Amino acid sequence: MKIPKDKVRFNVGGRIFETSSTTLANSGRNSFFGALFNENWTLKQPNNDSSSNCEFFIDRSPDCFSVLLDLLRTGDLNIPPDIPERQLYREASFYGLLDHVRSAKWGQFDGNRLRHSRYVKGQAPGDGTAIRAGPDGGCCVAHGSVVHVFDWIMEEHPPLNLDYQRVNDVGWVDSESIIVSTCEKLGRGDGGMGLFSKSTGELRFKFQVCHENQVKSFAAGALSTSSGYKIFSSCKGRSNEYGIGVWDQVTGKQIDFFYESPGWSLGDADKLQWLNGSNCLMVATLFPRKDNCYISMLDFRDKRMVWSWSDFGAPITVDEKRVRDAVAMEDNNAICVVNEFEDLGFMDLRMNGGSVRWSSRSRMMKGKLSEESCCPKLALHEGQLFSSMDDCISVFCGPDWVLTSGLRRSYGGSICDFSIGGDRLFALHSEENVFDVWETPPPPIS
Amino acid sequence: MSNQKKRNFQIDAFKHRVVVDPKYADKTWKILEHAIHEIYNHNASGLSFEELYRNAYNMVLHKFGEKLYNGLVATMTSHLKEISKSTEAAQGDSFLEELNRKWNDHNKALQMIRDILMYMDRTYIPSVHKTPVHELGLNLWRDTIIHSIKIQARLQNTLLELVHRERTGEVIDRGLMRNIVKMLMDLGSSVYQEDFEKPFLEVSAEFYSCESQKFIECCDCGDYLKKAEKRLNEEIERVTHYLDSKSEVKITNVVEKEMIANHMLRLVHMENSGLVNMLLDDKFEDLGRMYNLFRRVPDGLSTIREVMTSHLRETGKQLVTDPERLKDPVEFVQCLLDEKDKYDSIISNAFNNDKTFQNALNSSFEYFINLNARSPEFISLFVDDKLRKGLKGVSEEDVEIILDKVMMLFRYLQEKDVFEKYYKQHLAKRLLSGKTVSDDAERSLIVKLKTECGYQFTSKLEGMFTDMKTSQDTMQGFYASHPELGDGPTLVVQVLTTGSWPTQPGVTCNLPAEMSALCEKFRSYYLGTHTGRRLSWQTNMGTADIKAMFGKGQKHELNVSTYQMCVLMLFNNADRLGYKEIEQATEIPTADLKRCLQSMACVKGKNVLRKEPMSKDIGEEDAFFVNDKFTSKFYKVKIGTVVAQKESEPEKQETRQRVEEDRKPQIEAAIVRIMKSRRVLDHNNIIAEVTKQLQSRFLANPTEIKKRIESLIERDFLERDSVDRKLYRYLA
Repeated sequence: MKIPKDKVRFNVGGRIFETSSTTLANSGRNSFFGALFNENWTLKQPNNDSSSNCEFFIDRSPDCFSVLLDLLRTGDLNIPPDIPERQLYREASFYGLLDHVRSAKWGQFDGNRLRHSRYVKGQAPGDGTAIRAGPDGGCCVAHGSVVHVFDWIMEEHPPLNLDYQRVNDVGWVDSESIIVSTCEKLGRGDGGMGLFSKSTGELRFKFQVCHENQVKSFAAGALSTSSGYKIFSSCKGRSNEYGIGVWDQVTGKQIDFFYESPGWSLGDADKLQWLNGSNCLMVATLFPRKDNCYISMLDFRDKRMVWSWSDFGAPITVDEKRVRDAVAMEDNNAICVVNEFEDLGFMDLRMNGGSVRWSSRSRMMKGKLSEESCCPKLALHEGQLFSSMDDCISVFCGPDWVLTSGLRRSYGGSICDFSIGGDRLFALHSEENVFDVWETPPPPIS
Repeated sequence: MSNQKKRNFQIDAFKHRVVVDPKYADKTWKILEHAIHEIYNHNASGLSFEELYRNAYNMVLHKFGEKLYNGLVATMTSHLKEISKSTEAAQGDSFLEELNRKWNDHNKALQMIRDILMYMDRTYIPSVHKTPVHELGLNLWRDTIIHSIKIQARLQNTLLELVHRERTGEVIDRGLMRNIVKMLMDLGSSVYQEDFEKPFLEVSAEFYSCESQKFIECCDCGDYLKKAEKRLNEEIERVTHYLDSKSEVKITNVVEKEMIANHMLRLVHMENSGLVNMLLDDKFEDLGRMYNLFRRVPDGLSTIREVMTSHLRETGKQLVTDPERLKDPVEFVQCLLDEKDKYDSIISNAFNNDKTFQNALNSSFEYFINLNARSPEFISLFVDDKLRKGLKGVSEEDVEIILDKVMMLFRYLQEKDVFEKYYKQHLAKRLLSGKTVSDDAERSLIVKLKTECGYQFTSKLEGMFTDMKTSQDTMQGFYASHPELGDGPTLVVQVLTTGSWPTQPGVTCNLPAEMSALCEKFRSYYLGTHTGRRLSWQTNMGTADIKAMFGKGQKHELNVSTYQMCVLMLFNNADRLGYKEIEQATEIPTADLKRCLQSMACVKGKNVLRKEPMSKDIGEEDAFFVNDKFTSKFYKVKIGTVVAQKESEPEKQETRQRVEEDRKPQIEAAIVRIMKSRRVLDHNNIIAEVTKQLQSRFLANPTEIKKRIESLIERDFLERDSVDRKLYRYLA
């Protein structure tokens, strides 16, 4: 019988493995094997007679090598129970195969196929503010004045803080950088907004607001980023700098400011969302100091409010419907809102000054709210709409937004925030300091 | 317990021993450093990748990432400094080769180093925002070698020198050039641009500025353009061989500016070889080259176009106003057609069928054709000539081609109605004398005129064809109903509808008795079948075939006009007739009679009559005899009338007047049509609209329009506004 020419023999930590160079080629050029087989490195090739005991020695764990070799062969990741995940990740990192492991571990996001993968419990006292999914499957959680950072392996990195001021919002700029917005400490210039390195936790820029060439201290609220390397934040200063600030994420410099028009609480905004297609920023002020909710679309090119809505003057009915969260749906030319009873409502972005069309879906929840319940939140991901209520996240699909799935895990109390990114969904609970990770399993074998 | 004892009590800090061997980091780094040395020294075969990778991994794992990174920077820098020294030392031409060799070595080494330090590249470097290994290697190469004082200028000069040598015809190592330029591009587009492209463009501009100056002094325009084109292609080729493709636009811009744009006017107007000479000599190749080169620079094509237009207008003007040319209308039109053909082929062969050039050509022709008021007449005469005789033995397609060309000239005419007038006259002559060569060709031209100018323009012309056809039928009917006429003279009558034909009313003559009896028979036959019509004889337009016997018994058949027939018939009863007698007997109008006698008595070979005295012109006192000595090789003899083919001056005036007369109702009709729809309009707008409406037929004269308006006011079609005298109102 002929011996395949591309047969390769390894001695890994004393155990012999035989495989083919084609299998190893699956690891790509930027990996240990890719470099090993490059022509630059004149390997001491085993002679062609197969009886020779020439083999490549690798001083690593054979158990993990076996798992990773299997990953290269099949694309599937199967971790035996006796191997700690951390050890496997460590080995994958050595070989430069961490990306392979990451993409084999869970599949492409689909709200209707999500499985609860794990939960992570933190030491910080409860009272989580926000959770944000990172682009590579990691996440960050704001607790009081500290932001905890987790990579996709769910290992915690050094926490972030901005002078230990209370964190209002966090966001990912890219898989390496996180922005944090905090309250200001009166008169000290502390707080504001900063950009941090994910892996080391160091502060890279502190963003400033200038008003009439003077640097002002400010409290930063809701955050949003655009694909054009811009960062938006609602800002509250003490003099006139209420409004939406815009910074360049590469230089960290302020490049624009949208001053608040009278009676329109831009600086208090609770949610910002950049809309790429229409080149506008949605600003929603839903828990204002005054009594009314405002949602508007800002065009920064000519400093214009191109669309706006307010519940000012709306009749206060028995089953009062207060908007508690909003998400713009560009593809549908609509804004979706939710009230405290998790009723969904829609507004048409093509006409100004319309009212909310509440969907008739009623959960018969009125008056049954538990005291500890949090306000519902909304998220939109690739045509699927998600809303959280108590300890459950509902998934809506299709043109009529039919309820298709419910994600519930009865631990940790009601969900105060959730976020989708890196093909994962993270849900932060309010009673216990714990968050859940939901993933789509890898596709079926055939 | 004493206080001192208390002071002795100490708690040692817990020593957290991460690394067993304190020298661990240094040792490991030494191994890696050694490996880097070996790699640069081409001695890597003894290295174990696995071991080196593991060592680098361990350093990063044990938090010596920074030491590793700094060590790498220092080691690589020191190697590059050595390379820099050895490259500097390279003599002459070997400099680039040495640099290229070292660059390849460095790239290979860099790849291997990156392989060893892959773990650092992947984990440590992003987290501390340092430059990745590969990029670091390129940056160090750029700063240590390319930008070192001794190399930077030398490299630039060497590259530019090589380009210069290639431009002056030497063969250089293009592969080496490509590699070095590729290196500059790999180091970043700014390195390529600053260290090579910018000076390259400057030097090129200087080179081509000098060269173009030299060429323009000693070359003619065609040669210069050839050289410029060659240079341009060379530069484009150079880019594909060893420069960045983005440089192509920049370098061609330089060549275009220096070699073409800067000398454009001088080239176009170059004496004896400029654009005008090229046009005159049909130098398609040179013209095409000029077009393609000038197209590349701003205003290039418009320059060519303007010179061509003014030349064309000038020659055209000379052509149409040259009194020599006016002598022969057919030649005149043929010249125009030849000129048109010439420029058509220039535009299609050399100017890429450019629309703007075609437009310039058309407007030039329109300009100069209308400079000569006789152009419409001449074009009609040309057609007449072609349809009379010119088209014999020519295939149908060729006929179409000639007719299409004529139509093209026709399109340029402003006074299309004048053309129509003449065309009608010429067509009438052709039809009546049966001289037309091809009925198909005639009809084809009518169809062309119809598509060009509309039904109205050709309706009368078509009427003429109908008359011819109807007349044939009538004659058949006539002879069928008069079978007794078989033996006598044969009469062929063409019944012409008044108005369709250019007839002259009232001009008639006394026909010989035999004929007039026959004519009376026809008249009664015709009026018998068509009631309510009136026939009048147009004897001036007829022809006759008569048999004659001369003194020695020679028999001939003479083909003559009706007038000539009348005169000849007189000699059946007389030997000698004086001019006065003939005039009295026939009552032919004087001018016509003179012409007809002249053609029978004074033309050699056709002189069936003899005149006394023998002179060229006909006098009132002359006497005429049958010429017994008449001989001819042919049995059939055609005696043409001496006619001026072109119109004589008074005839011209007459035609002109008729045209003007015909225009009046057309102008009035246009005014009324416009006013009917607009109700109120001011003077200038009426003029503009009328001119526009009539454009397809003729160019209306504003004074004439004004006269017509006034005439219409007199006849209560229009009135002036009582307030604003410039406004006219339509009165329904």
